[in-house]
Amino acid sequence: MTTTERSPLQWPRAGADRLLEVENLWVEFRTRRGTVHAVNGISYHLDERETLAVLGESGSGKSVSAQAVMGIIDSPPGFVTGGSIRFRGEDLLAMRPDERRRVRGDRISMIFQDALSALNPVLSVGWQLDEMMRVHRGASRRDARRRTLELMDRVRIPKARERVDGFPHEFSGGMRQRIMIAMALALDPDIVIADEPTTALDVTVQAQIMQLLKELQDDNGMGLILITHDLGVVADVADRIVVMYAGSIVEEAPAHDLYGRPAHPYTRGLMDSIPRLDRGDARLEPIPGSPPNLARIPPGCAFHPRCSFARDRCREDPPPLYPVDRRRASACHYWQEVVGAR
Amino acid sequence: MTDTTDTAPGAESGAADLRRVPGPTPAALPAPGRQASLWGDAVRELVRSPLFVAAAVVALVVIVMAIVPSLFTSADPRSCSLSNSLERPSADAWFGYDLQGCDYYARTIYGARASIAIGFLASATAAVIGIVLGSLAGYYGGWLDALLARLADVVFAIPIILGGIVILAALGSRGVWQVALVLFVLAWPTSMRLMRSQVLSIKQQDYVQAARALGAGDVRIIVRHILPNGIAPVIVYATIFVGVVIGAEATLSFLGVGLQLPAISWGLMLSVAQNRILQAPHLLLFPGLFLSLTVLAFLVMGDQLRDALDPKLR
Repeated sequence: MTTTERSPLQWPRAGADRLLEVENLWVEFRTRRGTVHAVNGISYHLDERETLAVLGESGSGKSVSAQAVMGIIDSPPGFVTGGSIRFRGEDLLAMRPDERRRVRGDRISMIFQDALSALNPVLSVGWQLDEMMRVHRGASRRDARRRTLELMDRVRIPKARERVDGFPHEFSGGMRQRIMIAMALALDPDIVIADEPTTALDVTVQAQIMQLLKELQDDNGMGLILITHDLGVVADVADRIVVMYAGSIVEEAPAHDLYGRPAHPYTRGLMDSIPRLDRGDARLEPIPGSPPNLARIPPGCAFHPRCSFARDRCREDPPPLYPVDRRRASACHYWQEVVGAR
Repeated sequence: MTDTTDTAPGAESGAADLRRVPGPTPAALPAPGRQASLWGDAVRELVRSPLFVAAAVVALVVIVMAIVPSLFTSADPRSCSLSNSLERPSADAWFGYDLQGCDYYARTIYGARASIAIGFLASATAAVIGIVLGSLAGYYGGWLDALLARLADVVFAIPIILGGIVILAALGSRGVWQVALVLFVLAWPTSMRLMRSQVLSIKQQDYVQAARALGAGDVRIIVRHILPNGIAPVIVYATIFVGVVIGAEATLSFLGVGLQLPAISWGLMLSVAQNRILQAPHLLLFPGLFLSLTVLAFLVMGDQLRDALDPKLR
């Protein structure tokens, strides 16, 4: 077993450093064409100072589960139909709307994928940053502005003083994402959820933004949930990874273990479908088929139609999360085969 | 589902990034500041448009006319002498005299007040009520939306002039307030629908979601994020509607169900003039001219404003 973990996590253990605990969360969208089962009973947790990556394709439910944590699912059509989301032991789903609103942005905040569309186009970036301090802390204009400039320096926006009154469209993609990060960090939250924070950016800028996030996390000591479809992005920063498929968690593992020896066929497929220079064979092996329609998830294991390990049992019997070792779990009946195969 | 753009990183997102940055690069901007906003751009564009400036000057003159008519004429529109009845325009009386022998120039000037007052009252209240109800209906949806939308449909189905005739004919006294009220009652659904559709589309924007994720409440989201982004079409409509209301008031007064004598209004003047169109054409000409120019001015302003606020037309 691997023993060189970067974070002192123990799984599954609830300690004093447990920041967030999502348990058996269900989310569905009731549309005219039927009910879309976006999140189906997922559980995960986040500890103090930890980086958790939630990995999955479009429509795997990764963003929806984050929105459920934030409490920003449009309802209707979206409904959280079950489970609990405990932040420092307190169930967010049981809170009154105004209590919950005070948690948002202040204790748990969020970074969005496309900062251009996530910033209000008619307000200056300085105004939008000031707003955070003024709404949540009742800061005066002057104090808020001082803090805004401090934040802009901190996310390394050059000439913050000159650019503070600029509008979002006057900033480059990377700079806008820095503004977005500054807004999310404005109130020193305990948890930051970053939903595809680098997807809309150039590759070189992606690396800078991830580096910045990592540094800020080290300084602030916050927990970070990184939602992404990009294995490359999470490789360097994540402590632990949960992989989602069709609204369920199919594998959970420390980052190092997951990369070394995936224990679920889907994770394996993801690994095989990214280009790697360190392997001799340059051929990519895409996962056959396409992700299921969440309104009609296949019975049994949702992945079975695309799985090379699938047998009859997989078509009927939905696999539970089998513990692979102390810190790992895989929702595959034949995980031993998957780990063993190479 | 909300996982929208899981595009592959790399060359593609680089190109997308270039596409998303409109206008000059940050380095080429004149100075950092607030000038670069939608409204700032619009104002600069409007000031450069001769058509807008001309229309604005006409509108401004008429507004000043309505507020302080004595700036334009020293004559009293109500001191009349029958000996001057129906006299043609002359150097002494530029617009001639009407049937009662009142100075027609003075009456035309004083007639602006009723038009402007009704135009602004009806269209401002329609815009404000439309914005408030449209925001509520669009933002909260559900039964509130259904109720307001049906109510708007019912009112919307009534033609404005026909509805005006029916309601005003039933009212005993018809002054500026009554006419403005009736026109407002018949007109608010349009601005409400406009605002509602704006809110519906802006509500889906990421920045509204982001604002909510960062802890903004409903009121703050509506006032700070949705209104500034969605109000432009309603303002354009309200500007055009000032002209429409002025025309409607004149029409109603002309038909005898709008303002009543002894009020002074262009519509009333036209109504009186129609019987003597061959005998005294100047009675029709001057109020008609003022009315058309005023209506035209507001329509042109609204039109120019719409062009200036729509970045796609630049």
